[in-house]
Amino acid sequence: MKYIDEPAKLQQEILKKTYSLALIPLIYSLIRGEFATLLGFIFGLLIATLIFRLRLIQIERALDMQEKKASTFIRNRYFIEYIIYFVVLFVARKNPSVNFLAAAVGLFFVKLTVIGLVMIDIIKGSLEKKLESYR
Amino acid sequence: MVQFSPDVAHTIIKAAALLGAGFAMIAGIGPGVGQGYAAGKAVEAVARDPEARGNVITTMLLGQAVAESTGIYSLVIAIVLIFTI
Repeated sequence: MKYIDEPAKLQQEILKKTYSLALIPLIYSLIRGEFATLLGFIFGLLIATLIFRLRLIQIERALDMQEKKASTFIRNRYFIEYIIYFVVLFVARKNPSVNFLAAAVGLFFVKLTVIGLVMIDIIKGSLEKKLESYR
Repeated sequence: MVQFSPDVAHTIIKAAALLGAGFAMIAGIGPGVGQGYAAGKAVEAVARDPEARGNVITTMLLGQAVAESTGIYSLVIAIVLIFTI
């Protein structure tokens, strides 16, 4: 993966790719006129982006701590993020102008991009290995 | 065979759904514990090799981002169970 030694750059790269991929469902829901879906997706995606950015800051802070303290710190932060996720999904469920499933997909979108990028890397690596073995 | 009135049947279904939501939320604990453990080990790794800090942070960032998804799955299921039924 590119920028493996520079987490901030890698994060920016992932977010760029996430947003460029997110254009597909955004434009699709805009064309179909499903504004609740559009709003839900944007809502979920924004919160996922902010939490993804927050995570890097938290990890950098945790690495300067002692082992046990870092472990507790990250665990507590996870539960705080979990509450934020709950609030997002709860609001999406209660508010009729925000689609619940779209909000959930928006929350997952960064993770899907990460998985997709890693899968592409793995496939690329295996193809390159095969090509080299043919040579 | 025991037959329930619609009201009682609905109450039983509601109770079962709420119980299911509670069970689903157990899945939210695992990623937190796992992430904490990973953070501890990352601190250990950076202490051993400070030059690998960037690499460790990247791996941890991606790992934690993906590990969290199971927790969100459970949250989605729980909310659907609570509010749909």
